[in-house]
Parts: sequence; C-alpha cells; structure tokens
Amino acid sequence: MAARIEVAELVKEFRIPQRREGVRGALQNLFYRKYQTVRAVDSISFEIPAGDMVGYIGPNGAGKSTTIKMLTGILMPTSGRVISNGFRPFEERSRYTKTIGVVFGQRTQLWWDIAVIESFRLLKKIYDVSDADYEARMKQFDEVLELKRYLNTPVRKLSLGERMRCDVAASLIHNPPLLFLDEPTIGLDIVAKDHIRAFLKQVNQQYGTTILLTTHDLADIEELCRRLMVIDRGKLLFDGPLEELKRRLWRETSVKFDFRDREQAQKLAAMSIPHVSVERCSELTCRLTFPREAVSTAEVIRRVVNSVEVLDISIEEQSIEEVVKQIYTGQVLQEAR
Amino acid sequence: MRRHVSLFWHYFLQYAKIRLEHRWDFFISVLTMTLATVFGLAVVYLIFGRTQAVAGWSFGELLFLYGFSLLPMSVFNVVSVNLYQFSDNYLIQGKFDRVLLRPVHSLFQILFEQLRLEALGDAVLGLAILSVAMPFLPRPLSGAAWLVLALGVVCGAMIYTAVFVVLTSVSFWVEDRVGIMPPVYNFIQFGRYPLDIYNGFIRVLLSWIIPFGFATFYPAAAALRFEQYVRYLWLLPVVTATSWFIALSTWNRGIRAYGSTGN
Repeated sequence: MAARIEVAELVKEFRIPQRREGVRGALQNLFYRKYQTVRAVDSISFEIPAGDMVGYIGPNGAGKSTTIKMLTGILMPTSGRVISNGFRPFEERSRYTKTIGVVFGQRTQLWWDIAVIESFRLLKKIYDVSDADYEARMKQFDEVLELKRYLNTPVRKLSLGERMRCDVAASLIHNPPLLFLDEPTIGLDIVAKDHIRAFLKQVNQQYGTTILLTTHDLADIEELCRRLMVIDRGKLLFDGPLEELKRRLWRETSVKFDFRDREQAQKLAAMSIPHVSVERCSELTCRLTFPREAVSTAEVIRRVVNSVEVLDISIEEQSIEEVVKQIYTGQVLQEAR
Repeated sequence: MRRHVSLFWHYFLQYAKIRLEHRWDFFISVLTMTLATVFGLAVVYLIFGRTQAVAGWSFGELLFLYGFSLLPMSVFNVVSVNLYQFSDNYLIQGKFDRVLLRPVHSLFQILFEQLRLEALGDAVLGLAILSVAMPFLPRPLSGAAWLVLALGVVCGAMIYTAVFVVLTSVSFWVEDRVGIMPPVYNFIQFGRYPLDIYNGFIRVLLSWIIPFGFATFYPAAAALRFEQYVRYLWLLPVVTATSWFIALSTWNRGIRAYGSTGN
C-alpha cells in the first residue's frame, strides 16, 4: 500500500526571545534581544500507510502539536521532508488542505457566532461539496453523533462535548482521505468520548480514512489505534504496535488471589516460589508479583492452585498509563530505537 | 475567480445574519451612521464655506476632491476591520491556524470574514458632497470622467488595502503590537486636498512611497482636468498592481515566519 504520509528527518526550531528582568532589563530588551533556539521537533522520520489509525502520544511540550502543524501545512519545517497525500503540505497548502480534515480539540474550527448548520453550509461552499454528498454525509453524521439537536444553536452556546461532535463532523464534510485530530477527546465526558470514538472507527472502516490522532487519554489509543508513536523532547522514542510497547516495557505482572478462609491465605503467604514475591494484602487476599521474563503467569497460577485452595484469581495488568509513564519519566526506551 | 465571488457572497450573508440577529445594535449603527453623515456635511460647510480658491483649484473642485476622497476610503474601511485586529485575534489567539487549514487564500478569509458595513456611511457622505460640488465645477463632467472616477474608487480601495496588508504582515515577525497603523491611516487624510498644496517631500511620499495620492487625488484630478493629469491615470493600474504584488509577497513571506501558538 502506498504511504499516505512520509516524513523524513523532520526538524522544527523556534527562536524564543530571552527577556531580561527588571526595569534595566526591559530597557536593554528595547535595543537588543537575545534569542534562544529551541528544537521542538528533532529529526523524526516515519511513514503512515493509507487506512491506518495511528496514535501519537507524548507529554506536554513534547512536540506533538508542532509535528501535526507541520503535517497539516500550518508551519514551515526548518528542515526535513514531508510528503502527505502526494503534496508538500506547506508549499502546496491550498491544494493539500482540500484532501485533509483537521480537528484541534482546544480550538473550534467553526464560526463562533453563527448556528452550527450555517458553519456547515459555509464549509460546504468552501470545500465545493455537492448537494447530494452533503446531504448523505449530514445524515450519517446525525446517526452516530446525534447532531440534529443542536444544529440551529450558535457554536458559542454549545457545551464542549456538543461542540466537539460538531467539529469532528465539520472536519469530514468533504470526506478527506486523511484526518488529523489533536486531542479530540480532551475534557469530554464518557458519553461524548464514546460517540467520537465510535464515529472515528466507523469513518475509518467505511471510507478507509487514514487517521492520526494525538491524545492524553490512553483509552483512545487502546480502542482506536493499531499503531502508536511516542515522542518526547522532540524525538520519536517508539513507533510500533501497542502490544510491542507493552511487551518491551511490561517488566512485571501481578496476580491477586482471593481465599475463602484465612488458613489458605496464610499458607500461600508462607510459600516460596522462585522469582515470585508474595504480599499479603488483607486477611483473605494475597498478591504475587514476578518478572515476566523469569516465570510465566500460567506457571505461577498452576503452582499456587496445586497447593492451596483458591476462591478467585485476577491478573492485574499494568495499565497502559503506567507503561507510558515509564517512558515519560525515564530513560526506558533509550535503547528501544 | 467565480468561486471567490460566490464565496464572498456567502461570507457576506453570514455577516449580515449575525448583524441582523442583534437588531438593536444594527439600528443604532444605522442611526449613528446617518448622524455622522449629517455632521460630516456640517464640517465640510465650515471648512469650505469661506474658501474661494486654493493653489489654482476652485471652490467647486476642492469640494469635489474632498467628496471623492471619501469613496475609496469608505470601501476600504468596510473590509479592513480584521487587519487592525489581526495580531490580537488571529496570531495571539491562534485563530490563524484555522484560516490556514482552509483551501481559500488566507488573506481573502481575513479581509472578508468580518466586515464593517457602517463604514459605507462615509460613501453616502462623499456622494452627497459630490452632488453639492457638481454645480460649482468650472465645466460639467464628461461620461469618460465618470468612468475614471469608478476606476479610481476600485483602485483606491485596493491601494489602501494593499498598504495596510503590508503593515499587518509586520506582526508575523514582531510579536509586540506595532503602532504604525494609526499614523499611516492619518496619512489618508492628506489625499483629501490637492497634492500641489504640499511640499515636495510629502508629494513624493504620497505618490511613490505610500501611494495614497493615487488612491484619491490623481483619479479625481484626472476626472476634472483630464489633459493635465492623464499621465497619472495611466499609472494608476500599474501602481495598484505593484502595491498588491508587494502586499501579497510580504504576506506570504510572513506566513513562512508564522510560529503559531503552542498548545
């Protein structure tokens, strides 16, 4: 499959003016400024094939938004190459933007003062969408996103969840083959999040729309994305399936055992299994923790149930939040690339 | 081109809807517009009431120049609102991202996303002054002169817009608010009177550097005294095109420097 997005050694540097403090500093600022060059995106390369759904994550200030802005043609790259939908986004922006949809979770694309439906009509005009296509799409948007209820409300009077549904719909009015979403679920309640996710899934399946989304909500990733890219301090730290990330970082597994009576719990607490540390959580529960490479979960469970009488077993997966926190806080992935 | 005309119409309809929704606001603007026109006429009467002739221009001609100068300026004032607010509204708030993401030229969106129709009140005032001036002209205007005036309004509005697009573009590079727009705006007023009353420096400035002279004085003068000013008339399209060439290239360079706010 042809790559929808190709990025090679992409770099973006910003010049930040250094302000001096105090009155004297302010006077000095008047005449000459010192600048500091900050590399927001530091030589990243990747390819995204058509039809993929990719999650792009990283802590605040990691360079996610800057990357998206270069991919959408808003910012001019300092160096490196981007080819997306066959266009160079910045140089060929006016033709390129017809082939993409963009949602910024924190800012609406719609006109603030006019009713949602008016914004849609204006966008229909701007993107040259035919009446038939427009009607069909509006119908589909309404089915999943339940737009009808607030189509006649001005955007400024919508709740965040309502506004986001409208924004996502608006970004797809011209049925673009490529969709960028920058934190589409930020600040939304669970119902709204579900709506948006279901809608994105449907669009991806039905039209083969390629989707790149940044998020802080890892449930978005688990539900939507087959592939994950992790960026921090401008560098791409990981690029691959979610499972692989888990496999690499998932050092430990915990299994919790519940018992009917105290003796059984005590018996387990006293047991010694190689590589496994046992912790008595309460009267009737124990937690066993062990490194994944040393011993398998099945092995541990087998040994336990062979020697004590167990009521219930639950395997505690390390949440993806924790996995990602490991990346953000440390060195973990340095060797990964 | 046709697409842009139709788009302009749609932008205009949106604007009209917003304005009509706040109907008291709308009525009050119409009222203030009318009052401003009446006061404007009174001021003109005070200025020109005792004037006979200045630098060889008769009373009727002076009044005519003054009246005409209001027409291109008023058209310019209709579309220029967003240029003054550009730095605050679009760059600092980050709304410019949205503009760049749409397949319509960014400047088109900035100019037409918000209008100020009240500014057309000045055009009404201008036309009123022109009709008052008409009987005092040394010779009646020919049909060609009317064409010259129409061309002058279009080119004049375009020249003003081009100059202010260049000034607006500065905010792509300079984050701080730059106060060069108001003084330049005041320069427009110089074009209300015959250019020959000013000294050489201002004449050169208004003809060749900030070409406001071409926006008002030269076309109006050519309508009145064709033989004397016809050479400036030929230059009018050239000056207009050049201003727009400079404006567009500055604007496009500015977009390359556009940093956009972080999240």
